[in-house]
Amino acid sequence: MSDIPSSVAFAAEDVAADWGVLSDLPGNPLMWVLIISELLVFGALLLGFAVARLLHPAMFQTGQASLNVALAGVNTLVLITSGYCAARAVQVRSAGAEKGVRLSRPWLLAAMGLGGCFLAIKAVEYADKAAHGWGIETNTFFTLFYLLTGFHAMHVVAGIIVLGIVAWKNTVDNLETGAAFWHMIDLVWLLLFPLVYLLR
Amino acid sequence: MMTFPLEDGQAWGRRLIRAWTVLALLTVVSVAAAVAGGLHGRSSLLAVLVALAASFIKARQVLDHFLDLRRAGSGWRTVFTALLLVILVGCLALYAVAEWRV
Repeated sequence: MSDIPSSVAFAAEDVAADWGVLSDLPGNPLMWVLIISELLVFGALLLGFAVARLLHPAMFQTGQASLNVALAGVNTLVLITSGYCAARAVQVRSAGAEKGVRLSRPWLLAAMGLGGCFLAIKAVEYADKAAHGWGIETNTFFTLFYLLTGFHAMHVVAGIIVLGIVAWKNTVDNLETGAAFWHMIDLVWLLLFPLVYLLR
Repeated sequence: MMTFPLEDGQAWGRRLIRAWTVLALLTVVSVAAAVAGGLHGRSSLLAVLVALAASFIKARQVLDHFLDLRRAGSGWRTVFTALLLVILVGCLALYAVAEWRV
């Protein structure tokens, strides 16, 4: 039992809960700091990709022509469906303590499974590139392609682990925070996909 | 400051389905535009504009409905819109310069 007077404990809690302008955002404010940071990092990488394309137009045209647009489109559908499942998990969790936990877990498992599908399709894509002898050191295009998509795929792996943890420790706060991380991965892909695969 | 009232579970679920439908349709449209609108492995200007506009709308759907940014104040929504536009318009400008140089 703590011997701290309750008035002091409440005051400390109030200070801890004051996130300034971040308090306006739904969910955990620290997750929004991460979302903004990731958007800035991937935004800079994508602009760097566009600059490299400007400097090496022929190399990028050949490289982008080797990418499978349809497969990447299917992967986009897989990821946004996974994001939908994560959002539904948060929605049904609001049904209450026991019922919410019971209803949210299948949605989380579906989100994780679709995340696994995304990685499997990405592995097929990488295997195809490897079969043609196109690796990370082939040229600037493939270096950036593997760095961008590989960095994103590592986030997907981390996101699946995060969803597994919040499915286990299933509180409303944990679920909202874990789902927000997953949606951030979705958001980054929605910017990466057209710039790498469609603008050729 | 929350500007939207709390909604019941069914309305929330319907809103998420609408958002997913928009995301899926725009993905199909942008891929179809890229595949059908290209010539000699290069995208047409229309396909490029469709892809970038679809990307912007899809990112806003994820922010507003999956991440519930619509419940935040207009200031934060403006910040994220500006960030998305800087990235996408910047890439469009660099793409346009590259095409002009070819």
